[in-house]
Amino acid sequence: MSGASMVRIDFNRLRFLVIDDNAHMRRIMRTLLHGFGAREVYEAEDGAAGLEAFNHYIPDIIITDWAMPIFDGLELTQMIRQPGANANPYVAVIMLTGHSEKNRVTAARDAGITEFLAKPISAKGLYERIVNVVANPRPFIKTKTYFGPDRRRNVNPTYSGQERRKGGKADVIRQVPLLDKVRSIG
Amino acid sequence: MSKDNPATQTFADHEVITPANKLRKAVSSVPLAPGDDPVARAERALEDLSSEFAGWMQTECERLDQARSEVKRQGFTKTTKDALFHAAHDIKGEADTFGYPGVTGAAESLCRLLEHAPDATRIPLQLIDQHVDAVRAIYREYERSDAAELAFSLSRRLREVTDEFLIHVNRHRPDVLELIQGPPLAPDQIG
Repeated sequence: MSGASMVRIDFNRLRFLVIDDNAHMRRIMRTLLHGFGAREVYEAEDGAAGLEAFNHYIPDIIITDWAMPIFDGLELTQMIRQPGANANPYVAVIMLTGHSEKNRVTAARDAGITEFLAKPISAKGLYERIVNVVANPRPFIKTKTYFGPDRRRNVNPTYSGQERRKGGKADVIRQVPLLDKVRSIG
Repeated sequence: MSKDNPATQTFADHEVITPANKLRKAVSSVPLAPGDDPVARAERALEDLSSEFAGWMQTECERLDQARSEVKRQGFTKTTKDALFHAAHDIKGEADTFGYPGVTGAAESLCRLLEHAPDATRIPLQLIDQHVDAVRAIYREYERSDAAELAFSLSRRLREVTDEFLIHVNRHRPDVLELIQGPPLAPDQIG
């Protein structure tokens, strides 16, 4: 396993909500999550039911498909990322999708997803995304047009373009990974 | 930092908010024990489920066939087009997991056709038929020794014909042409 995967996560302390209109894919996701050790896995079969389940169960992590009836995973994420409008606008959202075009990935990030997981799904890929949202949380950025996790995952020291965020020295505040916090406490 | 008032720093045109991390409860200070591999556990659980996959693939192929029949019966409407696209899109995403990676290419080509054609009613129904029949045939003949080779040839030809059609119908839409002709993202660019 990779370095990130060396973090030990108590999956039985996390509550998952899987939103997918395809029953086979929900079963696959449930099987993988139980395999990791999760006990609380809730399911919804479309975006509307997913939003209702999100407000009812208050999950720690949402795993949603993109293409769904009523409203899709992108619209669902936009509804969740409404400060003050629901139970937890900061919830981690992992977008599971068969789309892999660049414009799709950009649209998903702009909607405020936390992680993107392209199909075909693998146990390793899913596990790494979950470890990442738990161990390496990103701060949230709120602008006139965006509310969601900081889309700048890495600070690029060679970046020479225009600074699009205005207002001071510290545009990105790096959060101490939980693993480091735990180690420092221990 | 209270639950309702996360730490916020305000700048000229944005705020940086550091919410309380509720997931911290799940990080264990005890490292993984030697031999304790959650990924391997999950893979084994999936393996236990795999006896169901052939039946699931059959169900998805029937769903695709049914969606095609509705398109031929009612013509392309938003409902019939969406149903056909979703059926193909699900197969594209699931086939590999179900152990039928050879089916993915034909399903993916059908998704491209439906997604990038500016007017679905102009898609030749014969091309829809060829895609749906290819998906079903590849699945049906999967046990043949030359199945992978046949699936590859069939999918490549479908993709060529599809791209030829899409380039023609989108000839006045440079942004779509760029999308159609551009390379897909590599998996490590997506994550």
